[in-house]
Amino acid sequence: MKNQPFVRVSELHKDFKMGETTVKALNGVSIGIERGSFTVIMGPSGSGKSTLLYLIGGLDWPTSGAIHVDDEEIETMDENTLAIFRRNKVGFIFQSFNLIASMAAEENVSFPLRFSGINPAERKQRSQKQLELVGLSDRMTHKPTELSGGQQQRVAVARALINDPPLILADEPTGNLDSFSGLAIMQLLSDLHKAGKTIIVVTHDPRMRQFATNTVFLLDGSIVSEVDYKNATELLTQPFEKG
Amino acid sequence: MRFLDLVSLIFYNLSRRKGRVLLTAVGVVIGTSAVVVLVSLAVGLRENATQQLWGINDLTSIEVYPGYNMKSSGGGMMMGGGGGEIEDIKYLTPNAIKEFQAIPGVTRVIIEDYFQGSLDVVYGKLHGYSSLMGISVDDLADMGLEASAGTTELVKGTAVVGSWINRNFYDPKARPDDPPLEPPDLMGQTLKFVVSKWSQDGIEIKKTYSIKIVGVLKESRGQSDGSIYMRLDEISAWNEWVRGTRINRNKEGYSNVIVKAESPEQVIDITDQINTLGYMAYTPQSTVQGINSFFTILQVIFGGVGAIALIVAAIGIANTMAMAILERTREIGLMKAIGATNKDVMSIFLGEAAGIGFIGGLGGVIFGWGASAILNIVAVSYYTSQASANGGSPLSSVASTPFWLPAFALVFATVIGLISGLYPALRAATLVPVTALKYE
Repeated sequence: MKNQPFVRVSELHKDFKMGETTVKALNGVSIGIERGSFTVIMGPSGSGKSTLLYLIGGLDWPTSGAIHVDDEEIETMDENTLAIFRRNKVGFIFQSFNLIASMAAEENVSFPLRFSGINPAERKQRSQKQLELVGLSDRMTHKPTELSGGQQQRVAVARALINDPPLILADEPTGNLDSFSGLAIMQLLSDLHKAGKTIIVVTHDPRMRQFATNTVFLLDGSIVSEVDYKNATELLTQPFEKG
Repeated sequence: MRFLDLVSLIFYNLSRRKGRVLLTAVGVVIGTSAVVVLVSLAVGLRENATQQLWGINDLTSIEVYPGYNMKSSGGGMMMGGGGGEIEDIKYLTPNAIKEFQAIPGVTRVIIEDYFQGSLDVVYGKLHGYSSLMGISVDDLADMGLEASAGTTELVKGTAVVGSWINRNFYDPKARPDDPPLEPPDLMGQTLKFVVSKWSQDGIEIKKTYSIKIVGVLKESRGQSDGSIYMRLDEISAWNEWVRGTRINRNKEGYSNVIVKAESPEQVIDITDQINTLGYMAYTPQSTVQGINSFFTILQVIFGGVGAIALIVAAIGIANTMAMAILERTREIGLMKAIGATNKDVMSIFLGEAAGIGFIGGLGGVIFGWGASAILNIVAVSYYTSQASANGGSPLSSVASTPFWLPAFALVFATVIGLISGLYPALRAATLVPVTALKYE
């Protein structure tokens, strides 16, 4: 099993039932992502990039195909094992931050540790350390509503890192941020990559590519080449002509 | 997840929506306090009824009469029924008394013997009537009787009278327009007991004894109120005079005996054992048992009414939890994404539902307790004023909260909360994480 990619996705299919019709969100995706890489998944809306990310993170089950993360086959895991897999192996960063509004930054960051059975004193110490790492040591007791969008996303990054997972999955992490805050988050993710984390980011933001070690292009649930992707996206952006 | 973390998270989540939690808990408060007040009321009423009976009857006494066993062909009934041929009479002989004394839990057997002739009690110009009983104790206190004046000790040539005896006196020469007779105070007086029998020739033979009244009993609202008590040997001698022969107790026994039990709890069992031996035993406890079972039913009905209120409150909890889960669907998705298991999510939401039940239960227990106390103060003062105006014994309390009731009500309210949270919690736990995270 040596020299196998850290994340291996083979012939992945994911169908969604929308009433009578079946939508094929992923249509036979196969991909290998190396440990310590920074992968950017790009694609237009509805291309299946978020679906792929969530399947790799074990938040959903594929219709068919196999997913291996760190040599663990996750699509066959039961819900309990999957929860423990997420706890130990994956840190999630979402577009809308998903912070709990009533909790201070420090409590939001330490929230995952409650499920790991860590005692309150250690939770506090670890969350303070993570917040210092993301540059928010002066914002520990602030509630999300008292923080800017960029600061909230940094709190979310700190929360993703609290269990020290090897894999960070980010779904449009800059989508709700202004360009400056977005760039700061990209820089933060790049720093994590340099620190040895495997990063997979789903984004529309082309600036993210400058930090990436590889880029995956998705169109209609399938992986395509950059050329095909560009042609298709150009076609999509051209105005309709009569005739 | 550590238990303490779970509890702190549950109460943290509840504190996030105080208004809704409190409103939902009010329903539980009403239900729990209804359970506490109504069950306390039923328990209080039962205690009162039992206390009143304790006043009338000594609950450790069993009255035993000879057993008349019929032949089964004669209708199969005991004691009468007509047509039955008495096969075997179980007399209350000294041997029978020994048998009773051998039953575990029996402290003593007291022999009662009624005077079988006719009795005229004379006090000055007044005449009185009463049943006269010889009893095999030296002190009537052994029967649980108390004196309102004088003593309860029985000495030869003396008698202790019941509290109503002085009302049985009349003046045979009184005219219709004379004022009503004031009942005489018999205490310390020497009365003439004129006993009589009829000879075979139809001639009335009388005998007069001077008997000193050494004690008047307290009102018991029972048999003792209308009885005159004397020593058994004296009454037995008088009965032998009435009959004109010696009475062979080994053959025909006594008319009845009282078996005393160590404690009221043993009485029913001892009664059954004596009945099994073939005698007729009766205890006022069977009446008490009937009353007790009535109050148990009342307690269940009252408790049921409160429980219905709690079930209505449970629907409120279920509704609140269902709403909470809808509002917090994304949060559930997040919890699962960061490593919460289905069991963790289930525990959190079940705990929140149980927490609402617990908070409401606590409020209900305190409120119900307070309401019972107020009810007691109001009702007892009302009954006391009624009792002093109309006679009768005042109540000590109307509602009585047994020690187990608050704990039971609290646990019950919490369990009701837990059960009502079951379905919403199960829904939360089984949400697919990605669906929950994308919920708008």
